[in-house]
Amino acid sequence: MGPRSKDLSLLQVENNVEDDADDVIDDPSEEEESESESESEQEDVKLMEPSKTAIYNREGLVERLEDISWPENVDWMHKLSLDIDQEKEVDVNDDLARELAFYTQALEGTRLAFEKFESMGLPFLRPPDYYAEMVKTDAHMQKVKGKLLAQKRQIEEAEERRKSREAKRIAKEVQAEKLKERAKQKKQEIEEVKKWRKQRQQSGFKDGKDSMPDFGFEDGKSFERSSKKRPGVSPWDRSGGKAKQGGGKGNDKNKKNRDFRDSKFGFGGKKGMKKQNTAETTNDFRAFNKGGAAGNKKRKR
Amino acid sequence: MGKKRKHSETQAVEPKKKDEGAPERPKRTLMGWKDKEEVQAQTDSNSESPQVFRNKEKVMVTCSRRINYRYRHLMLNLVSLLPHCKKDNKVESRSSKGATLNELIELRGCSSALFFECRKHQDLYMWMARCPNGPSVKFLVNAVHTMEELKLTGNHLKGSRPLLTFSRNFEKDAHWKLLKEMIIQIFGTPKEHRKSKPYHDHVFVFSIVDDHIWFRNYQISVPHNESDKMVRGGLDKMTLVEVGPRFCLNPIKIFAGSFGGPTLYENPFYVSPNQIRALEKRKKAGKYAKKVKAKTRRKMHEQSNPLEPDEFADMWRE
Repeated sequence: MGPRSKDLSLLQVENNVEDDADDVIDDPSEEEESESESESEQEDVKLMEPSKTAIYNREGLVERLEDISWPENVDWMHKLSLDIDQEKEVDVNDDLARELAFYTQALEGTRLAFEKFESMGLPFLRPPDYYAEMVKTDAHMQKVKGKLLAQKRQIEEAEERRKSREAKRIAKEVQAEKLKERAKQKKQEIEEVKKWRKQRQQSGFKDGKDSMPDFGFEDGKSFERSSKKRPGVSPWDRSGGKAKQGGGKGNDKNKKNRDFRDSKFGFGGKKGMKKQNTAETTNDFRAFNKGGAAGNKKRKR
Repeated sequence: MGKKRKHSETQAVEPKKKDEGAPERPKRTLMGWKDKEEVQAQTDSNSESPQVFRNKEKVMVTCSRRINYRYRHLMLNLVSLLPHCKKDNKVESRSSKGATLNELIELRGCSSALFFECRKHQDLYMWMARCPNGPSVKFLVNAVHTMEELKLTGNHLKGSRPLLTFSRNFEKDAHWKLLKEMIIQIFGTPKEHRKSKPYHDHVFVFSIVDDHIWFRNYQISVPHNESDKMVRGGLDKMTLVEVGPRFCLNPIKIFAGSFGGPTLYENPFYVSPNQIRALEKRKKAGKYAKKVKAKTRRKMHEQSNPLEPDEFADMWRE
């Protein structure tokens, strides 16, 4: 345990020297190896200076290397190893840069290998119709796919929500504009008529029809506007089309009943337009249940 | 193994293909070498047949008892990545670890071993050893991500031969060279292995950053429009998708023998995780003592430098 205790004393001595200051060691991060969902860098602490008693037996290493290595003239096909240059030093703690460096190394290696294989005329890539056992099961890949799709859907939904919020805001503004415009128009027209009447009064009602100014509302254009708002509503419908709305979830029977009664009595509809007890309405049974109480009334239902 | 062949022999080998089994046959070659020399050359390079080198590497993969779930999954992932490995039962070893393991390896007839040792349910150490009398290395494993993580989306054929890429700094020093050779032999699938699949669709990345060996496994994916095997112009559109697993190895020691023997290399910067934890605890333990000391120091300081009396101290006193 000689060298080990020495290491500890090395570290500790440095601790004591700067007592009141903060700690000395390079990486004060606590090492945690078992957990780490996070993709963190190396989490252990390094010594400030290399321990003096570290053994380095270069000749032994070289000798061992000779012992185990394969003979020199072995085909590259057996080893399949490639050496890639690393252009610049990568900081271990910068996750993105480090992964990028690994990715470029792999990509370079694959390109070189692809060229070699092509020059040797050997198959390299897997053809799309080759089916064999894969290293991850299909069920697992389904899960992966599900997760990716869920992520994509989340992003899209967030986008849609944002867009619809924007659109609503704009639509509201436009609507406010329109309303203002309409009110202004109305006011203007009333003013015009008033003016014309005053004019007529002043000039003593003696002009013919020639001097009547053309009002903007005399052609049928104002009627056309209202027909676009609620399609399928007849102009004599006093409820304004609201009798047909609502109750998309109701039963057929109830809805029909309800519909009929609404159109007859709802929203002040159709009062005074029709006679009530005529030959047609006496035989009109739309409001009653179809064959509802047929059978013995004593039987409990 | 490892003997360099004479240059003349390598040239002479091709025409002699048919004469492997019976060296006594009269030499009917065009070049006319002497018989004796050829026979001697053949018996010299005994371990390999003159033309064919066959990679008969077999790796035994085991772990110790009380291994964590994450590390067990890592081991299983590695077992699925190496078709030339044999997985063995857990090793219950407190004492004489080296001898037991060596025996096991001999028993299974393997030439290398990967042994995962988990200490305190927290730290994972990995041993890479070459069986009969070869060197062995002990690593500390960090930053483990297994293949089951859903963020690693790639997939490749089980048993296809990987391409091994190494960064250039493996050539910088002797111990890195040794490690590189061991990695090639253990992680590279033998060429005509029974369980190996024909195409190459994944890459291993071993790169040295900050004196640690980082491992990554990527799937090579090229968009196929035709049903051709070689994709024309596909080199530019080649992308890599990570398959996993991922880990980072910190070499601790290299031994000359298998699981023991004289130390050839010791990492001077290595601090064992136990020591790190002990240091943290000690730092925390000192907090109260430091506080008390600071208090007494303040008191001494106040006593030695008394404040001058305040002029307005009596202003509000009755």
